[in-house]
Amino acid sequence: MIKVTINGKEIELEKAVTVLEAAKSAGIKIPTLCWHQQLEKYGGCRLCLVEVEKMPRLQTACTLMVTDGMVVRTETEAIANVRRSVLEFLLINHPLDCPYCDKAGECELQDLVEKYGARAGRFTEEKRKVPESLEDPVLVRNMERCVVCTRCVRMCEGVQGAAALGVISRGGHSHIEPFSGGKFECEYCGNCVSVCPVGAIMSRLHRHSYRPWQLVSETETICPYCGVGCTLVAQVRDDVIKRVVPRIGTPVNNGLLCSRGRFGYEFVGSKERLTSPLIRKNGVLEESTWEEAISLVAKKLGEIKAKHGSDSIAGIASPRCTNEDNYVFQKFMRVTIGTNNIDSTARTGYAGAQAFIENIFGQGSTANLIPGLANSDVVLVAGGDPTAVNPILGLQIRACARRAGSILTIGHVKGLRHYSPVELRPALFRETLALEGIVSALRNKKGLPGSNQILEAKLKDINTTPQEAAGACGVAEKDFAVFVDRLSGAATPAIVIGKEIVQSSGGNYKLFLLAAINYLVNGRIYLLSERANEQGLLDMGCAPDLLPGYRPLAYAEFRKRYETAWKTAIPERPGLSIFGMIDAAKQGSLKAMYVMGENPVYNLPNSRDVEAALQKVDFLVVQDIFLTETAKLADVVLPALSWSEKSGTFTNMERRIQRVRKAVSREGMEDWRIIAEVARNMASKFHYTGAEEVFAEISKVSPLYRDLAYEEIEKGQSIYPYKGEPLRSTVEEISVDKGAGVVAASRFYLRLERPLFHSGTLSRKAAALVNIYSGALARLSTADAASLGVKDGDVVRVSTKIGSLELPVAVDGAVEQSVVMLTNNFEGKGAFCLAEYAVDPVTGAPVIDCNAVMIEKVER
Amino acid sequence: MFSETAKKELEEIRLKYPNARAALLPALYLAQREFGWLSPEAYEAVSGILGVPKAIARGVGTFYAMYKHKPMGRNIVQLCTNVSCMILGAERLVDFLKNKYGLEPGGTSPDGRFSLVIMECIGACGTAPAMLVNDDFFENLTEKYIEEILEKYK
Ligand code: SF4
Ligand code: SF4
Ligand code: SF4
Ligand code: FES
Ligand code: FES
Repeated sequence: MIKVTINGKEIELEKAVTVLEAAKSAGIKIPTLCWHQQLEKYGGCRLCLVEVEKMPRLQTACTLMVTDGMVVRTETEAIANVRRSVLEFLLINHPLDCPYCDKAGECELQDLVEKYGARAGRFTEEKRKVPESLEDPVLVRNMERCVVCTRCVRMCEGVQGAAALGVISRGGHSHIEPFSGGKFECEYCGNCVSVCPVGAIMSRLHRHSYRPWQLVSETETICPYCGVGCTLVAQVRDDVIKRVVPRIGTPVNNGLLCSRGRFGYEFVGSKERLTSPLIRKNGVLEESTWEEAISLVAKKLGEIKAKHGSDSIAGIASPRCTNEDNYVFQKFMRVTIGTNNIDSTARTGYAGAQAFIENIFGQGSTANLIPGLANSDVVLVAGGDPTAVNPILGLQIRACARRAGSILTIGHVKGLRHYSPVELRPALFRETLALEGIVSALRNKKGLPGSNQILEAKLKDINTTPQEAAGACGVAEKDFAVFVDRLSGAATPAIVIGKEIVQSSGGNYKLFLLAAINYLVNGRIYLLSERANEQGLLDMGCAPDLLPGYRPLAYAEFRKRYETAWKTAIPERPGLSIFGMIDAAKQGSLKAMYVMGENPVYNLPNSRDVEAALQKVDFLVVQDIFLTETAKLADVVLPALSWSEKSGTFTNMERRIQRVRKAVSREGMEDWRIIAEVARNMASKFHYTGAEEVFAEISKVSPLYRDLAYEEIEKGQSIYPYKGEPLRSTVEEISVDKGAGVVAASRFYLRLERPLFHSGTLSRKAAALVNIYSGALARLSTADAASLGVKDGDVVRVSTKIGSLELPVAVDGAVEQSVVMLTNNFEGKGAFCLAEYAVDPVTGAPVIDCNAVMIEKVER
Repeated sequence: MFSETAKKELEEIRLKYPNARAALLPALYLAQREFGWLSPEAYEAVSGILGVPKAIARGVGTFYAMYKHKPMGRNIVQLCTNVSCMILGAERLVDFLKNKYGLEPGGTSPDGRFSLVIMECIGACGTAPAMLVNDDFFENLTEKYIEEILEKYK
């Protein structure tokens, strides 16, 4: 027990903390400027100076640790004088342009000066002049205001791990610059903006259009982009989101955001939002009333059902919509239409991978806490770049490295380069060898644990030698051994698996090998998730073989349960997968399709083929917030409310159910409400007054959410398995299909870039993200660019068997050789119009890594 | 790009220090030698080899006045004009450099042969005026003596 006296108050402490923290615990506030609770201590600004008995000079409270018997005074005349002087020094070069500065009102310097009264100061010399930098599209730097507290630098380097900022020059000329001196060219997380105490680094979004005190309402909600599920606070003036900020203390992101979460919200206010229902008349989409549109949808679906049967209709659900939307949608398909034909783009990787892994390790085995990654001693990453796909999860991996954990990467993981002591970069189509080599080396080293006979039987015959594996990765055998040693010595290993592996040839076998590694090292698995509610929609039963609560349709007892609850028979046959739907549409057996908040014509591989297929269905309904590529083909388009205009819940990749709340208002209906209207017009009883009532039904019928209510979710009591019971796992058989194996035969292959700054086709309408990354590029390795004789900005024609695109080149040192990386985000330039696919026989995911590509320079 | 020998040198330098950041100062000197000044490319090259983020490397480099932060002549003349040197005629020497070589304070001669940096006392007050040419030290300067000295630097 340590006893200290601060301002005459005796404080007892369990362990040594800083004087600042000790004072805080006793409710005594000491002013600070360079200190920030998310950052390493710095002790640079001298505002927190305090008197400590028996110490000769004033001490910085933010760095000084308390010792037993210490007597501290935080507010004396002398201290106030010193603080005033420190501030006076800071103001020598400060422009005091508060009337014009957006920070005024929440500026820490302003507040301090107000309190300690340094005001204009006595210096008459001229102030430092640094022109405001507007060279960057998203961040504005005003270095006259900078107090060189280095919070931004410490954030960028020590937390974000981007190290894009440095203190330039020295003394009175010190200021902050990104490397280029102008554009930031960084990860654009904006976390530097969060920690800057003054108006020196700020966001340009809605600049000069609000004052902090005019942000009259703020709503805590969940990010609409990826499966991490960060909490964000939408701050609103005049019913417009002016700013999105994180909050310290929230469970997943704790005061941090990524570029998409912070700067990607502008799509909400886009002028291109759909405002009225559209009905195709004489080949063109024309505005209509809601009544007309809804009754037309009901009538048409009813006719088609009567004529061709329930299974001639299919629905595509949305990982961007809430649980409530998705629950009502699948209920509509099962109850009103009478089919299990419901699926989503989760089928492109997440759903199948999860089913595969959880079949082996049990339901819920992929539900692991994201912040826990930082405490792992080893993190193995394969199949993607977590810092781009799930950025806040990526930060936890970087944090793990800072805490002396080992990061081990397989493949080209750009955002974790230099983190891995050995980076295994298997040559094209040689990934399997690398993974097999790791499995057999681990097995030989550690032996078989003996707890899962089925798995062990399958991995007994894997005998790839370290030599072969190292050779496949182009590393020395001893480096490969280092990789394996780190893994085998791990006490709390985590394995992070991205979609690239799932979508590669032999994907299910590679997943099996990763599962085997996980089994041998006794680790835990994280599956990267590209969409905010990918998990939720599966939990809601938006899959051809799952009922709500992730209950398999195949089990009669579960079907019965829902039949009782919904007072209707549920067909026994599983429905079509999303790829099955496309095939059925092509063959003409699928007559109608209802697409909610998804853009399959762009987001599925071989997109032109998907387009042709959807053109063949007799009746296509698309419910969306924009006139997407898919909506353009529709017979009826129904405009929905967006994420920030409705309430509901999302379930993130940890299976944490979180509340989505309405931040701004807009005329219109939530997705679930539109569907309930259609259902009512088809004589189904769908009566919900609000999202909460839908959720109440979910928690009543789904064993996974038993009695869970919004109230508990709000308290944060909503982590898997909630109050209900997870399904006990029954590993009956692990089916694995290695496939034939691919031999690289083409000079180039197509690979998908999953950029940090974009997400599907939604981010296209977020101006800031488009400003950061504005158009499709063909990324080539330095060596390939040289051999093709192209440099940055040159245009190349990228062609496959099924199409070609002309794209500007970006030479990228982090791209592997013999591949061209294309995005699937920009209008008319999506990689998926060039990519054929085959469906993985086990996971059902599309295999897209075999598309041979020709690249020619386009002479201008 | 670093030449192969420079790369080797840098790797040797790196080994003398406990971590990459500690090796930054000599690494930047090396880069300056290779690139002529601390250009963005120079920082990038150092960063690429040492694995220190380039923004951080640039921060360190710009802290020190004695690195070249812009392209400079082949030889750097650092002439002191502080009190002692000034009293003993350093200003005249500045004029002389301007007239004879077209060399302005802070500037570079048109032929790229010299750059002139004005110093604030180089610790040679007793033998003022004084200057450094590259790493060589000269004192008790006169116009004639400067001319003689500079002849040796091409
Ligand atoms: S936005 Fe993020 S990555 Fe960019 S400088 Fe700021 S903290 Fe660093
Ligand atoms: S820009 Fe802001 S956070 Fe960064 S050093 Fe300056 S005042 Fe501090
Ligand atoms: S990590 Fe994902 S959930 Fe979090 S802010 Fe970024 S996009 Fe949103
Ligand atoms: S807050 Fe303690 S020195 Fe800045
Ligand atoms: S004044 Fe010139 S050397 Fe000291």
